[in-house]
Amino acid sequence: MSPRTVRLITLATAVVWMVVIVVWYLYNPSANLTSFEPGADMRPEGTERKSDEVRIGEFFMAHEDVAMPPAALSDSWAGFRGPNRTGIVTHTIPISLMEGDFQTMWTIETGEGHAAPAIWRGRVYVLDYDERLSSDALRCLSLTTGEELWRRWYRVPMKRNHGFSRTIPCVSPDGQVVTIGPEGHVMACDAMTGKLLWTIDMKRRYGSEVPFWYAGQCPLVSGDELVLAPAGKDTLMVGIDVLTGITRWWAPNVAGLKMSHSSVMPMTLGGTRTYVYAGVGGVCGVAADGDARGQVLWTAKGWQPSVIAPSPMQIDNRRVLLVAGYGAGGALLEVNHGGIGWTATISEQYKAEQGLSSEQQTPILYGGDMILTILPKNGGGMRERICIYNPSDLHHTVWNSASDERFGLGPYVVVDGRLFALKESGELYVYQLERGGMTLLRHQTVLPDGADAWGPMAYADGMLLLRDATRIICLKISEG
Amino acid sequence: MERREFLRTCGTLITGGGLASLGGVLGSKASAVEGETMWQIDPERCLQCGRCETECVMRVSAVKCFHANQVCGYCDLCGGYYREGVKELNTAAENLMCPTGAITRRFVEEPYFEYTIDEDLCNGCGKCVKGCSSFGNGSLFLQIQQERCLQCNECSIAKVCVSGAIQRVPVGTAYKLKDHA
Repeated sequence: MSPRTVRLITLATAVVWMVVIVVWYLYNPSANLTSFEPGADMRPEGTERKSDEVRIGEFFMAHEDVAMPPAALSDSWAGFRGPNRTGIVTHTIPISLMEGDFQTMWTIETGEGHAAPAIWRGRVYVLDYDERLSSDALRCLSLTTGEELWRRWYRVPMKRNHGFSRTIPCVSPDGQVVTIGPEGHVMACDAMTGKLLWTIDMKRRYGSEVPFWYAGQCPLVSGDELVLAPAGKDTLMVGIDVLTGITRWWAPNVAGLKMSHSSVMPMTLGGTRTYVYAGVGGVCGVAADGDARGQVLWTAKGWQPSVIAPSPMQIDNRRVLLVAGYGAGGALLEVNHGGIGWTATISEQYKAEQGLSSEQQTPILYGGDMILTILPKNGGGMRERICIYNPSDLHHTVWNSASDERFGLGPYVVVDGRLFALKESGELYVYQLERGGMTLLRHQTVLPDGADAWGPMAYADGMLLLRDATRIICLKISEG
Repeated sequence: MERREFLRTCGTLITGGGLASLGGVLGSKASAVEGETMWQIDPERCLQCGRCETECVMRVSAVKCFHANQVCGYCDLCGGYYREGVKELNTAAENLMCPTGAITRRFVEEPYFEYTIDEDLCNGCGKCVKGCSSFGNGSLFLQIQQERCLQCNECSIAKVCVSGAIQRVPVGTAYKLKDHA
């Protein structure tokens, strides 16, 4: 190869490389990319949303094209365990005992969770959780169709922990619906229109510690008063005007109880109307009426499970049944009012395999001489079966369901003298309550492929509402 | 013939011929589409399955997201704008539902925002539509943009549409708009 050729090749190579370098230098591969950064929507400074900021009840949407439920639907299941917080329906229309399955009137999908509905004047209220929008959502549905009439929601980011939603709304006689969200956010709305009335963040206001698995406390409305048990730094229990949100009374948390998953239960003990709350660390009674209203009458610290989901159940004028899961078992609380004032003592306590217990559902006292429960998974040979006890003997069953009738953490309710019990897998059993036991009338798979059907049932106007982890269904169980 | 007159004659012929040609083209087009149909999506039946994005023969789907301003709630927390489980409510890319950044929003007044779709960026995936319809007023919906559609004899999206939402509609009602519902 001649020197001239070599020079030409060298020169050409150099030129090519120079061109490559210049092109590489000038080419911008990201020229067509657009960056999306905060502030592109021209939101005014200072109004940016913080990731943990919760504005309770800030969003609302009404479906004006959906037909209102018939005015004839006047029955109600206004909150946790029904109107009297007993889990028993006393006035109802006859249940259909004809051959064939109960008819499913409607089904709706929900966010993952266990929040059960309340029913009031043909409207169904459920505090759902929308995972996609990270929001608690109070949904108002038509009882007849399941169609949504309105919803009010607010953003509250949470992580899944056995789903999200938990509690049952409570509707006052005058039409205010109150909810407690999984993070302890209290919201009151007009039950008809969904108008926001007032809100409370229990963690901020009272310093409440929301328990692991989130708040399970269902609100209690007594007359025009909302009773909450924030069990916070200073405040054990508060009474709030349900219309205005103004605090009427508050009980100091002298005993240092913490919030449990249990709910406040109204009882008359020793002749005094009392709000009973089983917190983590003890059980307390707060005067509900009179000059002593808001006063902590008694506290019992002899029974302290670390997790309490069921609520206290009154047996008679002085005895209260306490149950809890995770091996805690049960206890009997005796409350007396005598010359030395109020006393509350744990007269007996036992492990789950030794007697009446429950992990999640609150037992039902039926007819004064039958306590119905589903034993927890560590309840020995009777685990997860329906068991009936006599209040005078909490250790020996009067009756129990068959070995294949195990319900897990499923709910149960008494309607018109029949026990409706739901297996957590979605199979509904109906028993006829009789003296000293029950007879199985029928069973039906109502939630096919059901999972974690733990939310309590609700009944009104011949309709039974049930749920599993992701849907709510309405069964027509009445005749006609 | 003088040069000026020659030019005027030529100009007249060219202009007249052009107008005549244009009229002819438009006339033939009009007569051709009369009684014809076009492919369109019924928003009421659409399940937002995502196949409109992937099955269209166009390199970027002819299906686009439309926005009905009259239906929109102008929400701050918009299910069609923010992706699921978003940590922050701002316009950073990691918070947005639209994979192509086709949805922009502008602050109107507290707490309302106006949403706009950039049709050129939209790929018809329907993610925003699903978000809006499941937790909103349903103001976002999918439509076949007729100017981009090739009007294939057999629409490749319609073949796989599970809900049968894509059907032929008269040219006169080539869009099913929610604003006009």
